[in-house]
Amino acid sequence: MTKRNYATVNPCVMCQPMGSALAFKGIENTMVLYHGSQGCSTYMRLLLAHHFREPVDIASSSLSEKGAVYGGRENLKKGLRNVINRYNPKVIGVATTCLAETIGDDVPAIIREFKEEQEIGDDPEKDIIIIPVSTPSYGESHVSGYIKALDAVVRKFTEKTEEEKSVKIPNGKLNVIPVESLSPADVRELKEIFDVMAGDYIFLPDISETFDAPLREDLPKIAPGGTPLSEIADMPNSRASLGLGTVSKNLAVKYLEESHGVPGYDVPIPIGLSNTDLFFTELVKIIGCPIPEKYQKERGRLLDAMVDVHKYLYGVKAAVYGDPDFVFSLTTFMLELGINPVLIATGSKSRDFEAKIRQIVEKINPELEPEVLNGIDFDTLNDAVSQCNPEVLIGNSNGRYIAKSRNIPLVRVGLPIHDRVGVQRILNIGYRGAMELLDRITNTILEATDTFTAPVQTEPAAYTEKKSEKECVEGMR
Amino acid sequence: MKEKIGIVDTLEERKPYITRKQEKGQEIPLACDNNSLAGAISQRACVYSGARVVLNPVTDAVHLVHGPIGCAGYTWDIRGAKSSGIETNRTSFSTDMKEIDVVFGGEKKLSSAIDELVELYHPPVIFVYSTCIVGIIGDDLESVCKTASQKHNIHVIPVKSEGFKGNKSDGYKAACDALKRLIKRPSEDEIKKKGPRVPDNIKPKINILGDFNVAGDVWLVKPLFEQMGIEVIVSMTGDSTAKAISRAAEADLNLVQCSGSMTYLAKWMQTEYGIPYLNASFFGIEDISLALRRTADYFGSEKMRERADRILEAEINRIMPEISRVRERVKGKKAAIYMGGPAKALTLIKGFAELGMEVVIIGTQTGKKEDYEQISYSVRDGTVIVDDANPLELAELLIRQKADLMVAGVKERFIAYKLGIAFCDFNHDRVVEFEGFDGFVNFAREVDASISSPVWKAVKERILKPEAVESEQKLGKIEKVAVKDMTSGENYAKECKGMLLKPELLHQKSEAAVESQV
Repeated sequence: MTKRNYATVNPCVMCQPMGSALAFKGIENTMVLYHGSQGCSTYMRLLLAHHFREPVDIASSSLSEKGAVYGGRENLKKGLRNVINRYNPKVIGVATTCLAETIGDDVPAIIREFKEEQEIGDDPEKDIIIIPVSTPSYGESHVSGYIKALDAVVRKFTEKTEEEKSVKIPNGKLNVIPVESLSPADVRELKEIFDVMAGDYIFLPDISETFDAPLREDLPKIAPGGTPLSEIADMPNSRASLGLGTVSKNLAVKYLEESHGVPGYDVPIPIGLSNTDLFFTELVKIIGCPIPEKYQKERGRLLDAMVDVHKYLYGVKAAVYGDPDFVFSLTTFMLELGINPVLIATGSKSRDFEAKIRQIVEKINPELEPEVLNGIDFDTLNDAVSQCNPEVLIGNSNGRYIAKSRNIPLVRVGLPIHDRVGVQRILNIGYRGAMELLDRITNTILEATDTFTAPVQTEPAAYTEKKSEKECVEGMR
Repeated sequence: MKEKIGIVDTLEERKPYITRKQEKGQEIPLACDNNSLAGAISQRACVYSGARVVLNPVTDAVHLVHGPIGCAGYTWDIRGAKSSGIETNRTSFSTDMKEIDVVFGGEKKLSSAIDELVELYHPPVIFVYSTCIVGIIGDDLESVCKTASQKHNIHVIPVKSEGFKGNKSDGYKAACDALKRLIKRPSEDEIKKKGPRVPDNIKPKINILGDFNVAGDVWLVKPLFEQMGIEVIVSMTGDSTAKAISRAAEADLNLVQCSGSMTYLAKWMQTEYGIPYLNASFFGIEDISLALRRTADYFGSEKMRERADRILEAEINRIMPEISRVRERVKGKKAAIYMGGPAKALTLIKGFAELGMEVVIIGTQTGKKEDYEQISYSVRDGTVIVDDANPLELAELLIRQKADLMVAGVKERFIAYKLGIAFCDFNHDRVVEFEGFDGFVNFAREVDASISSPVWKAVKERILKPEAVESEQKLGKIEKVAVKDMTSGENYAKECKGMLLKPELLHQKSEAAVESQV
């Protein structure tokens, strides 16, 4: 392998504005506007439409050469005006692209100016809330774009004076804030768990309806669903915040703790047995109710399923790649199953990724010395695959080139998945999700190693030799 | 002048971009060829995208995107263009600019990246695309590429495609400018020799411009010309190589299919090298026939014309039974067309006519005044013509114009689906060929499958809502039957309050319901 220092070959990561759209689209009645040139919104709409198979409307301030030279103020204002005019949203998330960042537009100031001109106040009840977030593509990745957008949303809706903060009306709710996007099915599953456990909760962002909308009689301009705005504003009154994800810093959870005194607990994304156990244990501690029988049974079924397939999976070498927290939880589950994740990689550069991965490997299978890659492209992953020789790849669709050229089966999880259907319904979360994931992985491995040959069917002579019509008739008598 | 009535509910500034054909032959004053309106959610992409889609099918090139990761990430293997050999174009290369590069300039990183990629891939050509940022920080791509070209003795060609510097059409032009640099200049003698009539003993040569070999289209087209005794030097850019492109100026004639992207290059080759061009389309029976016959006529060879006629007769006879079968199934259905380029939109009108279908909406992302004039001559009165449409306009138009099928790209697909309207992809995403004779059969079959699937029936049948049931009861359409007959569950019975439906009434057709939402 020739070492590359300057060229990225087949990116394993998306850019910050993309992540912001994932977060904004999980909020009730929200539109997204990218401040930059037209292409950015089109590309990300295309990617999300491919992935979720839903129409995805993202506006753009459509900066042209004039805007790039003299500043994008007028375009941004016009964009906001037109979005309000046509979509009538309650919230507009304004994410900057690298163009707007580089020409140095002061987006918060432009928005303030716009609101004054249009006489838009700051009352979430009756005014349009405009939330800027700085997300240049050359910054970090879609993972940070997502986290930053959520943080900005929570800050915007919970802005309070010191006086207001002192009068807290506890709502007894639990804030649930995942990092990195889950599938709509994952969100539905989590919400069901909270419903069953009788815990009142606020789930942010809620993409279960907005990215998996039922076919209806009409086509609403903005997909219904998403976290209600009143609930976001109520988050400081909650009893605790549960962050899902421990590798990337969950800024919203941290902010609620530091500024509003809502204690924050971070658990890994509940993929696999121990991560789901951790999730439930934390819930029991916070909510105080025992784990319902339904989930105890599900846990038992998962164990049963794990026992059923342990021989197929033991020692199977896997390569896991994707977003940092998602990969961390997947790796944990693989280790629990006896699979050897020999190659663990993330495209989003993440400070704590390697240490966290090493920790969990040390805990479950200290003999294993996996290759851990942080902030890589697919070309680097490909080289590592050739070194590690995994028997299965677990990650998003863009790994299909490696899978195909090396004839290694690929279990598709994560984002983007544009060459298979059902992304909205892929469930990885909780005991039930673990079972589904376990089945997908096992069946993929079985399919690839299938040595079953059908026994040769020898037909009895009586069937092969054609009886004459006469014989048949006689036989019937 | 007729009073202009609003066609759809849209922004005031968008209204000039949407019109309805009123009278046959009437010139339509449609606004077009402008930058997209901020906040209007155009379906267009940027300059870079235009350049990328045109150049990307050059199979043995390294396509290096000088910019932050996003631009390369979203356009990775975007075209679905097939290659008969090397597939370097399907790999995504980027300089992945970071904040530090934006501050201190990215030229060094770019030139190092080029060095690395030359060493790894030994490409005959590297296209270096500039993105928004490069235009702002002012990296001198021209000089970096020139130095690299000399150093490695290969073509390193800058593609001036800063995203904000215009729209998609400007990207097409940037791509053509890059191709121009690849085409080897013929000698003055050779240029002088170019003429319409090629003697019968010499095999004439052509280029196909503006075919990108999506799903392998070109492979169904090239053989037709070869059977006529014509050599196709290169198809630009579908399934092309740097070497084949460099020979393009040897051609006696250029056939331009995608006029939006390639007319600029064709005109340049005409002025510079004396190579004339003809517009052509390889989609639909009429347009393929025209393409073959006009080419033969151009070369003035009786023999070639006879061959063309023989091919056409044989091929049309071969596919007509299947086309007729589909025609019987889909005739009278209404189609909506929304395409990137106008040439494809125009040829689709004829294609639909051949299937007995009517076009009720036609729009493009990058059409120019003369394109829309051409379109207005080709469609019936009442057809809506739209430039640079957005999702809300498209959705409303589809319902108002009662379209049965939409032909467009992925972003439009789910708008149609959510409205319960059939959809057919004629963009980068399709996996079957639509050009040539077998391609048209594929298209016909897909149109049939899209329209005839029973899912649309299911979508149109709604389950009656409780309030609807009540009103039906009042009208006496639904009988009240004793609760106990319906269900044994007491709670359920209570909920239902004596409403009972005959099974056949559980569903109702409610196309009207869909319409009333607009």
